[in-house]
Amino acid sequence: HVPPRTERMDVDQDWSSVYPTAASFKPASVPLPIRMGYPVKGGVPPTKEGNLELIKIPNFLHLTPPAIKKHCAALKDFCTEWPSALDSDEKCEQHFPIEIETVDYVSAGTSIRNPKARVVTLSVKLSNLNLDDHAKKKLIKLVGERYCKDTDMLTITTDRCPLRRQNYDYGIHLLTVLYHESWKTEMWESEKTEEDMEEYIWENSCSQKNALDTLLRIKASENVSNVTEEELLASEVVKNYRNSVIALKNEGETENNMAQYKESVKKLLNIQALP
Amino acid sequence: LDHVYALHTTAKGCLSSPVSWDAAALAGGSRAVFYTSEDDPANHAERHEGRHYSIPLEEVKAVFPHGLPPRFQQQIKTFNEACLMVRKPALELLSYLKSSNFAHPAVRYVIYGEKGTGKTMTLCHVVHYCARQGWLVLHIPDGKNAGAVRVTASECIKNFKTSNERFLKEIKTQKKYVWGKRDSTEEGSPLGEVVEQGLARVRNASDAVGAVLKEIKQQCRLGSFRLLVAVDGVNALWGRTTLKKEDKSPVSPEELTLVYNLRKMMMNDWSGGAVVTTLSQT
Repeated sequence: HVPPRTERMDVDQDWSSVYPTAASFKPASVPLPIRMGYPVKGGVPPTKEGNLELIKIPNFLHLTPPAIKKHCAALKDFCTEWPSALDSDEKCEQHFPIEIETVDYVSAGTSIRNPKARVVTLSVKLSNLNLDDHAKKKLIKLVGERYCKDTDMLTITTDRCPLRRQNYDYGIHLLTVLYHESWKTEMWESEKTEEDMEEYIWENSCSQKNALDTLLRIKASENVSNVTEEELLASEVVKNYRNSVIALKNEGETENNMAQYKESVKKLLNIQALP
Repeated sequence: LDHVYALHTTAKGCLSSPVSWDAAALAGGSRAVFYTSEDDPANHAERHEGRHYSIPLEEVKAVFPHGLPPRFQQQIKTFNEACLMVRKPALELLSYLKSSNFAHPAVRYVIYGEKGTGKTMTLCHVVHYCARQGWLVLHIPDGKNAGAVRVTASECIKNFKTSNERFLKEIKTQKKYVWGKRDSTEEGSPLGEVVEQGLARVRNASDAVGAVLKEIKQQCRLGSFRLLVAVDGVNALWGRTTLKKEDKSPVSPEELTLVYNLRKMMMNDWSGGAVVTTLSQT
């Protein structure tokens, strides 16, 4: 019987000529001792000869690194040079802050059209946009789920138009409108309540009221009656207390925050331990 | 030695904290390592840290009619003794209480920590200290059940009566309370009568609790007695309750009289005492 081709293969042969295109697994052409499948009790997985499991699965034997190198070399004639000034990610972000992502689809068939190809994703970092404090908060509220706080990225995905060019134009239009609207201040924005605030503000909160109230009563019990609220607010202990409360509310409860809060309350109410 | 102790209880075994050995301990054998004979909380100091002290059983019945957790009560029955461990946060809290200025508004302390680290036991230690010092103690053992069942108001009154017998005769009401068409308590009568009204009729129990709390809060600042409000599981007073109204809408805690009155006690608008609370895990 004829021996398989694997026994006549060199170690340094050109693999891309064995598998030039995507093809199913041929056990006589792949010189690897692969076993695949569920083993019999007390046995080992079956060998590659006549192994249906290896034929069923997709393989990438036609896309080894030397094959990819040949593909790139062939495509190089159709490409232009990468600009030499853009040699790092930071420079790319600085000159081109908006990133557009589009996907092209190819399939084996008579038609080159694919409805998924019209989707356009626009991403930009808010630090690259010229926004002040109010504009940034308003933009984040307008945009809702599309903003990621950890990476400071705004991602807009558009697919409501039938063509890719139209979706791209619509995405740019959305970004422009958001930017201009967030800079404007409407009349009804002055009705913003405490629940709408994104971060905790101590001034005019009930924490400030209670603290001042308690301090005034302490002073009254000691018959010191000429202390004003402004003086109390400017004092070191109240400032300390304010910072620890803000840290607790904005950053959550950590060991450090709790210890800081405890120390500031001890100083505020003048609680001392017996020596 | 650093003087700043954290009130945060951590799960440290008593053997890991430094134990100071005195001559009596070495002579007394292993019992002296874990026990201390000093049973007045006012004298507990750093050298007693990590040791257990025992409370005489009659005192347990008088001071903690209901306040100890059920597992601890079982333990008392098994061993026939009530032993509490002297913990660092408890010592810290006691030193604050000893040096606090009672003319200032009441300071509110919160004991927090992970499950099983001794928050309730620390609270009981502080309650025992205040009872020994002659304070009026208002001990609410589990805030979780304060909102749940209407029966707890009368339990609350009964326990208040047991732990603070002598105050009931000394404190006089400053207002007249009308209970129904025929019952009323005149101004100037001892607080014990209000308590009796609460015990006699279940419907009046929550109102009686409210009246008692208002009276002791107002009179505390006059200085004739000190008040300790000890609440276990204080976060339950602000959480959701399990009760439902007739139209199946959930009852919010503010509507329950007992919870409403307890929340008023938590404010620091009175002076002459302290509020000690623990957080419970939900």
